Amino acid sequence: MPSQRFDQAKPFLTLGIALVAWLLIPTAVKRFARASFFELQAPMETTASFIRDLQDFWSLKTRSKNELIEAGRDLARLNAAYESRLQQDAVLRNELERLGRVLKLPIPPGYRAEPARVVLREFSSWWQQLVIRKGRNYGITAGAPVIYAGGIVGRVKEVYAYTATVELVSNPGVRIAAVIEGDTRPISYQGGINPSYGAAVGAVEYVPTDIFVAPATPRRLVTSGLGGVFPPNLTIGYVTRLEPSTDGLFKSGEVSLDSALSALSEVTVLVPDPLLPVR
Amino acid sequence: MKSRVLILLAASILLATLLGQLNHYLATWQIHVWCGGLFVAFAALRLGYRTGAIAAFLAGLLLDANTPVIFGTQGFLFLAAHAVIYTIRARAPRDETIVGVVVALLANLGLFLVMSFICINPVVEASQAWLRGFIDLLISQIVLALIAPWFFAMQQRLLELIGTNLRDFSRHSL
Repeated sequence: MPSQRFDQAKPFLTLGIALVAWLLIPTAVKRFARASFFELQAPMETTASFIRDLQDFWSLKTRSKNELIEAGRDLARLNAAYESRLQQDAVLRNELERLGRVLKLPIPPGYRAEPARVVLREFSSWWQQLVIRKGRNYGITAGAPVIYAGGIVGRVKEVYAYTATVELVSNPGVRIAAVIEGDTRPISYQGGINPSYGAAVGAVEYVPTDIFVAPATPRRLVTSGLGGVFPPNLTIGYVTRLEPSTDGLFKSGEVSLDSALSALSEVTVLVPDPLLPVR
Repeated sequence: MKSRVLILLAASILLATLLGQLNHYLATWQIHVWCGGLFVAFAALRLGYRTGAIAAFLAGLLLDANTPVIFGTQGFLFLAAHAVIYTIRARAPRDETIVGVVVALLANLGLFLVMSFICINPVVEASQAWLRGFIDLLISQIVLALIAPWFFAMQQRLLELIGTNLRDFSRHSL
């Protein structure tokens, strides 16, 4: 009977021994093992994303020439508008640089924009992340901000040989120094709960009490530029609800994030580059 | 044993890739499928302890590598689930597919709840987080019940291809 009991306990004994052995393994070995396991799966995920791109290509090939001509015309109009904006932007940048030189202000780092396709999207109640199809092979660095047309996507968490993982702005662990558009006082943004079948939401804290919002008149929440990770004035989301916090000194509330965040297929990584001018 | 572990690891990589692709498309609706129980059930029910334990641990590490959890978390959870299933497997007709599916569902339920306790941020509103978690769990269980028979059959066929006779494995093969 005792031997049978020992036999039954053997799997759990083995589990305990394995756990102790695992705790004794150096961190460097674990890090190497993690990267190896990730790289083992990366080719399959990347191949799947290439196949998706090919599917998109062939579905676009079915479009008629008239549709393509119309799309080209619309694109030409957009390009003309952007050209005009670029010229205005260059004038403003020159003015900014001139004022910076006059006032002897420190020059913030510039960024190299690196567009990347999304390989995988994961939106669970535990974590929200993307895997993108560029990594060390394109000089992507951990911590680099990631943006899209609608504002902030998140920041690069881990970089591998030719892929990288991006922690999304909706992730509960993400905190960003932000400001309400038109106000200079910094507030704290944190990712929140992402309900199923709906847009992601976040939370703001330490909002000054003289700021008011209503669901009908939301206020744009943008990055403050403090902390040095995200450039200033990038859209995080829209503050839709504010209520006094428990201490009564500030307000806290809810931020509605763009629903496109969970359907992204291409993002841009801003790789810090001190040699490039500020954008 | 090595070839059996490699076969099970290859099957786990395939399953992880397919679930990753499914989650990629489901992300649009903010839904996530997690089928941890499926990585453990077959090996724990049908194979020897050492082979199953190594395969379950490696499958856990495979998932850990892709997720923002401490490396080894899912590895040890799978190993613990494997130990539990292995200990009680003699009490059930473990060769039956339906038993495998039920065991996988129960293992997935337990593992999902433990993962939720580990991963849900206590700072955010817990009730909302758990509500979202239960929706994910419900969908995960449905997906698991649908794909488990295929995955078990595939693992069995792959093991048979390398000459493994599953009837040789008994409770005392530790």
